[in-house]
Amino acid sequence: MLRESSQRSGTLDSLNLQGTVNPDADSGVAHGSLLTAFAEAAVRQSDALPGLRERIATELGLQELVDAAGIVANFQRMVRIADGCGIPLDDFTKEATDDVRDQLGVHEYASAANTA
Amino acid sequence: MAFEYAGVDLPIREKTISSQRMSWETIAAPGRWWTGAERVEIARIGRAARDFEAVGSEMLPEAAVYAIQKLVVDNANLNRDWYDQIIAMPGMTEDRYVELVAVVVHSLSIDEFHRALGLALEPLPQPSSGEPSMQRPPEAEQKYSWPPIVPRDGLNPGDEMLYGPWEWGANVISALSLIPENVRWLHDLSEGHYLSFAEMRMPDPLRAISRSQIELIAARVSALNECFY
Repeated sequence: MLRESSQRSGTLDSLNLQGTVNPDADSGVAHGSLLTAFAEAAVRQSDALPGLRERIATELGLQELVDAAGIVANFQRMVRIADGCGIPLDDFTKEATDDVRDQLGVHEYASAANTA
Repeated sequence: MAFEYAGVDLPIREKTISSQRMSWETIAAPGRWWTGAERVEIARIGRAARDFEAVGSEMLPEAAVYAIQKLVVDNANLNRDWYDQIIAMPGMTEDRYVELVAVVVHSLSIDEFHRALGLALEPLPQPSSGEPSMQRPPEAEQKYSWPPIVPRDGLNPGDEMLYGPWEWGANVISALSLIPENVRWLHDLSEGHYLSFAEMRMPDPLRAISRSQIELIAARVSALNECFY
C-alpha cells in the first residue's frame, strides 16, 4: 500500500521502505521519521510519546495528530486479526511485494509461516 | 453517553466518535457465543493485559483469559498449534474464539487511540442482558485461515453486501466472518480510525495526512508487531 500510494503521488523514487522496519532509515515520506517515531512510541507505550505528540501537533497540526493516532489504533487491531486467525498474504500482495519482503527481513517473522 | 471527549481540545472526527460508540454498544450486547457480560469481561482482561497486568476472571474459561492475553501482548508468536490447543480447551470452540478475537481487537483499538493521544481510557460499557444466539452461519467454510469463514461467493440472501460491492477483498476482511457481524464492525471502526473500504481505493482520501504518510504509519505498526501479513 505504501509503494502504491507513493507511485500514485509521484514520490516512488524517493521512497525507502527500510524506513518501515528501521527507525534510523529515512523513508523519504514527508515527516516520515516523526510519524514513525510516534507510531513506535505509541506501540511501545514509551516515555517519548508525549514529546512526539507535541511535535506532531506543532509541526504538522492537531488534526494530523488525531489522524495519525487513528492509524496506529487501526493497525494495532488489524495485525492481531491477521495473526490471531493465521491468514496468509493475499495473492495480489504476495506478487506485488515479493521483491521487497526479503530486503526487509519480514520472512523471519513467525507469522510468515501462515503464507505458503 | 460514551465518548463525549469532554474537555478534550482535539479535533476528533464525528465518524471516529460514532464508530467508537457503536463498538461499545456491540461489545455490551450478547453475541452469538458469549453474553454481554462475558464480552465486557473479555474487553476488561484485554485492557489489563495491555498494561501487563495478568488479571484473572471468575467469569471466563481459563483458556479464554489466556487467549486474550496472548492476543494482546504476544500476537507475533501465535501459531496454528496454539490455535488448535486453545479451541480444544474447556469452554472454547472456534466460534467462541472468533468472537473473542473480535471483542479483544476492537476494544484494544479504541484504547490505543486514546493512549496514543494521551487521553483517559473510556470506562467499559455496562453489559446488556440476554443470551447468545448460538447461530453459526450455515455457509461457513474452512478456507485459507485457521477458523472457518463466510466466503464471498457463499453469502446468504440479505448478506450480499457484507463485503461491499467489490469483487476482491483482502483476506483480513473476512478473517472474522464466522460471526458475520464482525465484518460490518471491522468496516465501521476502520472508517472511524483509518479509511472506509471505499476510501481505501482512493489515492488521496480526505485526511489531514497524505496517503503515503498513512501507509507509512500502518507499515511501521505492522513491522513493530512483526506481522508478516
